[in-house]
Amino acid sequence: MSRNSIKILQGALVCEESKLRGDITIGTGTIIHPSATILAEAGPIIIGDCCLIEEQVKIIHRLPFDQQDKENTPVLIIGSHNVFEVDCHVEAPKIGNYNVFESKSFVGNKVTVTNGCIIGAGCKVTQEQILKENVIIYGHDCHMREGLDRPGLQTLQMETLSKMLPNYHHIRKPNKKN
Amino acid sequence: MAHVVGPEVVKYACTCGLLKSISSLYFCRYCCQLRCGFCVCHEVDSHFCGKCCENLPSSEARLKKNRCGNCYICPSCQQELSTRIGSKGPSNPEDPKSTPKKMYYLSCLYCRWSSRDVGIPDQSAATGGWPDRENVNANRLQEIIEMYKAMVLAEKQQKEKDKKKQRGKYLSYTDRTGVTAAALRKRIGLPVDIQHSLLKAKPKEPEPAIAKEDVEDLPEELLTKPVNLTEVTTIEQRLLQIDLQPTTVEKLFPVHKQLSIKRSLRCRSCEHNVSKPEYNPNSVKFKIQLFAYYHVPEIRIVTVEPLRAGRPSELIIKFTNPTQHQTTITILSLVLSGDENEVKEETGDQPSLPQEKQPPSLSSQPSSLLSLSSRQPSITIKPRPVSQEVNADVAIPSSKVILPPRDDAAEYDDSGDTHNIQDDPKLVVWRKSNKAFVKLLVTPKQGLALNTEIVAGFTMQHIYTNTIATTVENREPDKHDHNIRVFLTLGNLVGFD
Ligand SMILES: [Zn+2]
Ligand SMILES: [Zn+2]
Ligand SMILES: [Zn+2]
Ligand SMILES: [Zn+2]
Repeated sequence: MSRNSIKILQGALVCEESKLRGDITIGTGTIIHPSATILAEAGPIIIGDCCLIEEQVKIIHRLPFDQQDKENTPVLIIGSHNVFEVDCHVEAPKIGNYNVFESKSFVGNKVTVTNGCIIGAGCKVTQEQILKENVIIYGHDCHMREGLDRPGLQTLQMETLSKMLPNYHHIRKPNKKN
Repeated sequence: MAHVVGPEVVKYACTCGLLKSISSLYFCRYCCQLRCGFCVCHEVDSHFCGKCCENLPSSEARLKKNRCGNCYICPSCQQELSTRIGSKGPSNPEDPKSTPKKMYYLSCLYCRWSSRDVGIPDQSAATGGWPDRENVNANRLQEIIEMYKAMVLAEKQQKEKDKKKQRGKYLSYTDRTGVTAAALRKRIGLPVDIQHSLLKAKPKEPEPAIAKEDVEDLPEELLTKPVNLTEVTTIEQRLLQIDLQPTTVEKLFPVHKQLSIKRSLRCRSCEHNVSKPEYNPNSVKFKIQLFAYYHVPEIRIVTVEPLRAGRPSELIIKFTNPTQHQTTITILSLVLSGDENEVKEETGDQPSLPQEKQPPSLSSQPSSLLSLSSRQPSITIKPRPVSQEVNADVAIPSSKVILPPRDDAAEYDDSGDTHNIQDDPKLVVWRKSNKAFVKLLVTPKQGLALNTEIVAGFTMQHIYTNTIATTVENREPDKHDHNIRVFLTLGNLVGFD
């Protein structure tokens, strides 16, 4: 666990000040801001393409206490086009595509996130469950509703960031050909 | 501001007898009395929409049922909806070169609900034209409203009629002659019951609602199938659309945003405003703001020694003078019931009795006050006794505390205070600019149980300098002694060690 093995695919933008620990693979087009924290404690983390991981985000691969003795090391696979907004804390064991984790949201390590889900700002989801597709959790009382469609893409924002970030931050060099 | 002066451990007794923190009190300069939200008149100044900041006259607001015609709130989470540009398909499908046509839809940025969720077609204009749904009961409601309107009218006419009749009683001679009006009418060939002609135009009553005995059966699937809560609306969502009360989420439709009001507060005794906002909805300022915070010395608890039954504890409180005039604070013992404040309040409504209104130690004649109280008071407020119980005694100091005026620049002045005030060192422990720390001895009463909340009280008398326009012969600003009863929640009783 102490060995860091960071694989950054061509086209990914990973700021050097981000804190990456463990075995992490970062897909093409993914942007990781400085001061984001990704900890692969229980096993490797594979992040898909075009994910946006903003400042103060914590993605931690940590197993629930009752599953820690298992033999095989689980892999946390995060799909593509996920947006992790400022200061969200995600420990989900599985994340699909097109999800949005809004600012200061918290997802516990017993929650499986499928596709197109939105965890609203400040919402805490800890109960063991599998979130259905396009589920939106919002508000003070964590109301849940089903969306019609998956959330829109942040293409414009990511284009701007991929131009701006290299001007002000040191970027980790991609070390893997795709 | 409540969080600045909170927690609410220091409470002032309003003239009406309610206890409030200083941030929720007003001070009427004309009556020289504290007023709170419960003893002022609330008046609606203007209606406006909080989103588009449009001002609406009250008649128009009533017509629109106090809702904005252009702004909508989310039926799902009650936040404001914003208009978003949707598909940009070409305006002419056959000609791909034609300018792209913008379509607009409503979307909630909070819960991501959109007008597309429930199948409302996109609009071509950004400003709306969103379809308003017809209330199925609109006709019936209209009928009932009309009936009530007619009833009100009939009642009014009847009242006028009665008034006329009463007046007529004293003028007519029928009483003396023994000839009734009806008989007289008959004699001269007029219909007898003319006064009932108005009652004949009785409002048409709508058909009464009929109770039905056979109701729909409880759907079996409610008991057999698991409930999908994401499809069922919450109570809040149903009550937001009171006319439809949708049970499932696909029947949620955008709701017109409710208008906000700006209100002014008026002292009930003298009808002067104690708070009046600026008319412009964009402005958060006030034209008149007679908040107690700007006129009455603020008291805050600094420290209090552990409270033990029957033992004196040292209490240090801070006085702050918010005004531009020097004031003197005298601490008097608390009078809970039948006290001078109540007497003053009752006589304060009668300007013909200036001697009674005048507190005993008044330093100058309040002649300006008399000239100002020319307006007739609208309502006489009967003050209630303060219901707060006090279970600690405060040793009343013999000396007074002088508080210099507020000086905003003094905070940045390190040269020390230039005020030359001879303080009683037993009373004033520290002072700086317009603030003074005062030491009091508080003795909780004997025989109280442990953990009892200790409340101490005293009457604070401060000299209030009234700056409202003075008369020609009296150029000096009026100085009044103003008494306020103050209650301090000091914490819980602890045991002896
Ligand atoms: Zn009051
Ligand atoms: Zn509006
Ligand atoms: Zn909403
Ligand atoms: Zn008044």
